[in-house]
Amino acid sequence: MDALGIINFEDTTATVDGLGNHRPIPAIAFMGRYRIIDFILSNMTNSGIDNVQVYAKEKPRNLFEHLGNGSHYNINSKRGKLRILYGEKNFASPVYNHDIANFMLNMQYIEEDHNPYVIVAPSYFVYSLDFNPVLEAHKESKADVTMLYTSTNEAKEKFLACDTVTLEKETKRVTWLGKNRGNTKSKNISLEAYIMSKKLFVDLVKKAAETSSLYWFKDILKDSIDELDVRGYAIRGYVGCISSLKDYYQEQMKLRERDVAESLFKQDWPIYTQTNDSAPSKYASGCKVTGSVIANGAHIEGTVKNCIISRNVTISKGAIVKDSIILPGAFIGENAKLDHVVVDKYAIIHHVKELKGTDDNPVYVERRDRI
Amino acid sequence: MRPNSMAAMILAGGRGSRLFDLTKKVAKPAVHFGGKYRIIDFPLSNCANSGISTVGVLTQYESVLLNAYVAKDQYWGLDTQDGGVYVLTPRERDTAGLEVYRGTADAITQNIDFLDQVDPEYVLILSGDHIYKMDYDRMLRYHQEKEADATIAVLQVTLKEASRFGIMNCDKDDIINEFEEKPEHPKSNLASMGIYIFNYKTLRRYLLQDDKNDESNHDFGKDIIPQYLADKRRLAAYRFDGYWKDVGTVDSLWESNLDLLNENNELELENEQWKIYTEDVNALPAFIGDEAKIDNAYITQGSVVYGNVKNSVLGTNCYIGKDAKVVDSVINPGAKIGEGAKVTRCIVADGVEIGPGVTAGSANSETIELVAKRTME
Repeated sequence: MDALGIINFEDTTATVDGLGNHRPIPAIAFMGRYRIIDFILSNMTNSGIDNVQVYAKEKPRNLFEHLGNGSHYNINSKRGKLRILYGEKNFASPVYNHDIANFMLNMQYIEEDHNPYVIVAPSYFVYSLDFNPVLEAHKESKADVTMLYTSTNEAKEKFLACDTVTLEKETKRVTWLGKNRGNTKSKNISLEAYIMSKKLFVDLVKKAAETSSLYWFKDILKDSIDELDVRGYAIRGYVGCISSLKDYYQEQMKLRERDVAESLFKQDWPIYTQTNDSAPSKYASGCKVTGSVIANGAHIEGTVKNCIISRNVTISKGAIVKDSIILPGAFIGENAKLDHVVVDKYAIIHHVKELKGTDDNPVYVERRDRI
Repeated sequence: MRPNSMAAMILAGGRGSRLFDLTKKVAKPAVHFGGKYRIIDFPLSNCANSGISTVGVLTQYESVLLNAYVAKDQYWGLDTQDGGVYVLTPRERDTAGLEVYRGTADAITQNIDFLDQVDPEYVLILSGDHIYKMDYDRMLRYHQEKEADATIAVLQVTLKEASRFGIMNCDKDDIINEFEEKPEHPKSNLASMGIYIFNYKTLRRYLLQDDKNDESNHDFGKDIIPQYLADKRRLAAYRFDGYWKDVGTVDSLWESNLDLLNENNELELENEQWKIYTEDVNALPAFIGDEAKIDNAYITQGSVVYGNVKNSVLGTNCYIGKDAKVVDSVINPGAKIGEGAKVTRCIVADGVEIGPGVTAGSANSETIELVAKRTME
């Protein structure tokens, strides 16, 4: 595939409370054994993109560790390259640390890439997609930019603050980019994923930098919507947007359903991740496990109902864990009762015996906390 | 990592004919174990954890899958600059035609050119079909302390079992003075585990000498070790007391799998300090249905469970249908148990489907049933 993959970071409206304090959204654990970035990155490598740049806004340690040299994402270590790029300077204020600033600081790596096209996408939208037909359609339409969108009837509760797309029915030409303020049910939501020639991408980035030092890429695209031929490309099937703790919680709860999961985890479309070589999970005598997704290395003695249990988690005797997400290495002590709780990595629930959140407002337990 | 001076050679050519259909198309070292592993993951991971960087794997019987598998040395982190996993199969030679390995020693002799190239001070000989965790570096230090020409790892067995093994009779310092193959009246209970450390230079001489001997079986236990003893070479016994199992039969393979459910299982697969590494399979975590009942089970990723599972081990990507009852069984990767089927005291082979409502195995059976074919009624 003759495109450079650019994995962009999300803007400041996307914040996953608690979890996001410890790592960027792309590095947050998802579905027991994955990280959020695994989906867009696997989409790219499965599509045959061998050169991928991952932009990191801050705290890149997690990403370095997880992505490595990309060989576990099926990137050929000789022909291909996975680069993690970030602004190696201090920004005067966090508002200056946006995608355009980072693209500008790393412009040489974009310009020296030999691919004529770029595919730019953030990782906080989770879906499975082959980019080949999208690039084909883009070339055929002779459009300047092709952008991915999904149609939803749940725009009142989901995709809040995401960009909305207004397009002409026949030509799919995008005429307006707005914001989802949650006031209408049906909306077309931009996945902030764009395909264009590398030349246009570089031009737009430079233009954005000249226009305003606070501009993000999507701002310059919005400004240019009348001059450019921007077409929409609808994607069907599961699309999750992880831009808040509520999203993070509810999307995974939905993915516990096998048929929903199958529209994200498709046959012949592997989602790669870093392996941890954990042993299989042990379900002890007297445990009760139902309606859950359980990663390896877990040890379960208590009751687990409708949960996501990540690797190396312990659920002790008499504990009752319901509708909760337990991240890797957490320890749930004897007789603890958790209901609608997100427990971050390596937390130990020992003294507190009861925690209860709601579907819209799950309780969050800090990383490495001991309660 | 700097390599130590020891190269490992894993004998992985065995057919394992007592595993019947499990080894019809794959060699025994490639047989699945514990839901996600293959037997050869154990010696390979032990090598990696013991700091050994060069590992030769000698294959012969039905080796297509096994060769491809072990060639992926990155699975065990053995893809280092100065090491790797090398697949060594019988080959055609200028001076002789294509010859299969005539015995365990012959397999090494035929690859002396490989070892010469690696040029190790010590050679560790391993078998590719045992389940155990062992620190070979500790064994090497023991070998050096004893100033031995060869060191043989031994296991203490009961005197009754001893007649099935090669038995080492030792002095009080554990220096071997006699070796008896399957003795009728064993004098000791120290059984050879088929794990040897040799000083390479000496071993090289013995192998070349043995190669010329037409009477020889070209076997370590039958020929090389007896010759060392006849020549009054110093052989030390290295006592091992952890979990060790030769999973040579359907019953023993089943038993060893079910040992994993034991609360005090000595194999400690979950021990972070000595992990067993394996293929990185692309599989979702396990999905457990709303009506599933799981009681004492070992379940790996990719499994989908809607039915009942009791005292069993489930492999990667296997499927247990609604109301199915899987009891005291080992379900290998990719197997599918249909709705309402009853599977008791069985090993269900890789990818095998058991149809809805079918009964396989029985709670009263003396031996374990191996289900290796699609069973629809």
